[in-house]
Amino acid sequence: MVAEVSVEGYEAYKKAAEENKSKLVFALFCGSVNANGESWCPDCVTAAPVIADNLKHAPKDSVFIHCGVGGRDFWKDQNNVFRKDPVLKLKSVPTLLKIGHPQRLEEAQCAKPEMVKMLLEED
Amino acid sequence: MYDFVVIGGGSGGLACAKEASQLGQKVAVLDFVKPSTQGTKWGLGGTCVNVGCIPKKLIHQAALLGHSIQDAKYYGWNIPSDITHSWESMCDNVQNYVRSLNWGHRVQLKDKNVEYINAVGTLVDKHTVKTVDGKGKERLLSTDNIVIAVGGRPRLPDIPGALQYSITSDDLFWMTKPPGKTLVVGASYIALECGGFLTGLGFDTTVMVRSILLRGFDQQMANHIGDYMSNNGTKFLRECIPTEIKKTSTGQYSVTYSDKNKNTHNDMFDTVLMAVGRNAVTGSVNLENIGVELDTTSKKVIGGYKNNSERSSIDNIYAIGDVLYNKPELTPVAIKAGKLLAQRLFNNQTQAMDYQNVPTTVFTPIEYGCVGLSEESAVEKFGEENLEIYHAFYKPLEYAMVTERDVSQCYIKLICERQSPHTVLGLHLLGPNAGEVIQGFSVAVRNGISYEGIINTVGIHPTCAEEIVKLNISKRSGLDPTVTGC
Repeated sequence: MVAEVSVEGYEAYKKAAEENKSKLVFALFCGSVNANGESWCPDCVTAAPVIADNLKHAPKDSVFIHCGVGGRDFWKDQNNVFRKDPVLKLKSVPTLLKIGHPQRLEEAQCAKPEMVKMLLEED
Repeated sequence: MYDFVVIGGGSGGLACAKEASQLGQKVAVLDFVKPSTQGTKWGLGGTCVNVGCIPKKLIHQAALLGHSIQDAKYYGWNIPSDITHSWESMCDNVQNYVRSLNWGHRVQLKDKNVEYINAVGTLVDKHTVKTVDGKGKERLLSTDNIVIAVGGRPRLPDIPGALQYSITSDDLFWMTKPPGKTLVVGASYIALECGGFLTGLGFDTTVMVRSILLRGFDQQMANHIGDYMSNNGTKFLRECIPTEIKKTSTGQYSVTYSDKNKNTHNDMFDTVLMAVGRNAVTGSVNLENIGVELDTTSKKVIGGYKNNSERSSIDNIYAIGDVLYNKPELTPVAIKAGKLLAQRLFNNQTQAMDYQNVPTTVFTPIEYGCVGLSEESAVEKFGEENLEIYHAFYKPLEYAMVTERDVSQCYIKLICERQSPHTVLGLHLLGPNAGEVIQGFSVAVRNGISYEGIINTVGIHPTCAEEIVKLNISKRSGLDPTVTGC
């Protein structure tokens, strides 16, 4: 079974990715939720159950990092660290990545079961 | 039960499959990359994406950048003398880009609801395709229509050592170490492009040519390319053929070859790249047994049945792309033919693919763009006395201050009918960005532009392309075609 890790913010993401660099790592970047558990990012909310349903397709021994990118204002800053990171180069949330591989799904693609399954499955 | 099964996930097959699915058909596309003779494998997307146009153009660009760095001195840049190039980092980036395209194709197929099956397809009968995946698992697909879009793969000459020791364009872009001193065998556009960019990247490169350069292309232009490449560092062995390749104890390859007088020679290379032609990979599809007529030598599918360029001798079986007999082997041709085929089959459209006036560009160090007839074909078709051919040698301004730049092959040729309305039959351009220039002019040529239509157009100054609308010296006049000043 894939090991799930939840982190908040860029530094915590980098730390989690570094700790698991010997493994196959998937990462999902979503808008962070507030104290009441509400998200500012409707696409992230739509994608969440689809991704949860398909996690069973990820190879065992792989790691799945759920990362909150912060509040809406932080994310909308075009120069935020997630957008500027040369590996992540995020353009939108949600973004689902297979780290170190070209596989990437963005926005509504993350809510398509077939696409999520394809990204998580072994080639 | 499928409406439409496409065998081959290259440019043409993918475009055709997606178009059919968009029109409400149940579609599957089969793609399986058999490893090259040297074991190279790649992902979905076919030759163009993985081992053709895309990596080729990127590495051509790498070579052009090297030239630009040298030019930059004349523009005031202080360029260190110890600039080096890393084959590894270039290929890493090229390969990552290609892999992102493979992924993009898979996402698009899902998005457009096309089933992708990573398996070899073989016809059982005209409505049944057997698929065999990498693990040997079989499936039978029933379908109304079948498109053969399996493309081609490089051919190796039948000489000792070729299979074991030589590479092809299937391998070059995926090599993990620099090719070193390289022998390119062949005179096709693939051979000249590879020979050109390897020279440009600083490798000692020799091109071995059996007879003429760029068979089928305008020979005056082809010879200018050869002259340019010779003058700019590529070595040519003309009228020679390889006879044997042996591996030496140092890991180099000893290549024996014979010249036109049957004298035998030998030289050592780090890499031997065969670019002597491509074969259609119809062998595994079992086409002949179910009655699909193939050309006997090329094994390509013969189209044109029932007045439909892409329809084979079996009613519901079609072919597009490099596997279709006697049609240009070009990605955009396959894509357009595939889309139009789907539109005719599933959307009551009637538009046929127009295989005439297809523009193309050879990305040799001096680029060669053309559209329409070569001078040889025009003479054969119309007779020399019925043609007016305008030409010019020009000097790109970007090279004007760069003394070591060789511009003697920057040349344009416009072939027109001599009789009014002086319809343009062919346009040929050697020079920087030839592909970008010819693409625009090809719209005009396809739409029947006349010589006057070209020269009444105002140029954009200063560009290379403006030299086309300024053409005024005909070959018949015998006047000096060298452009001077503005």
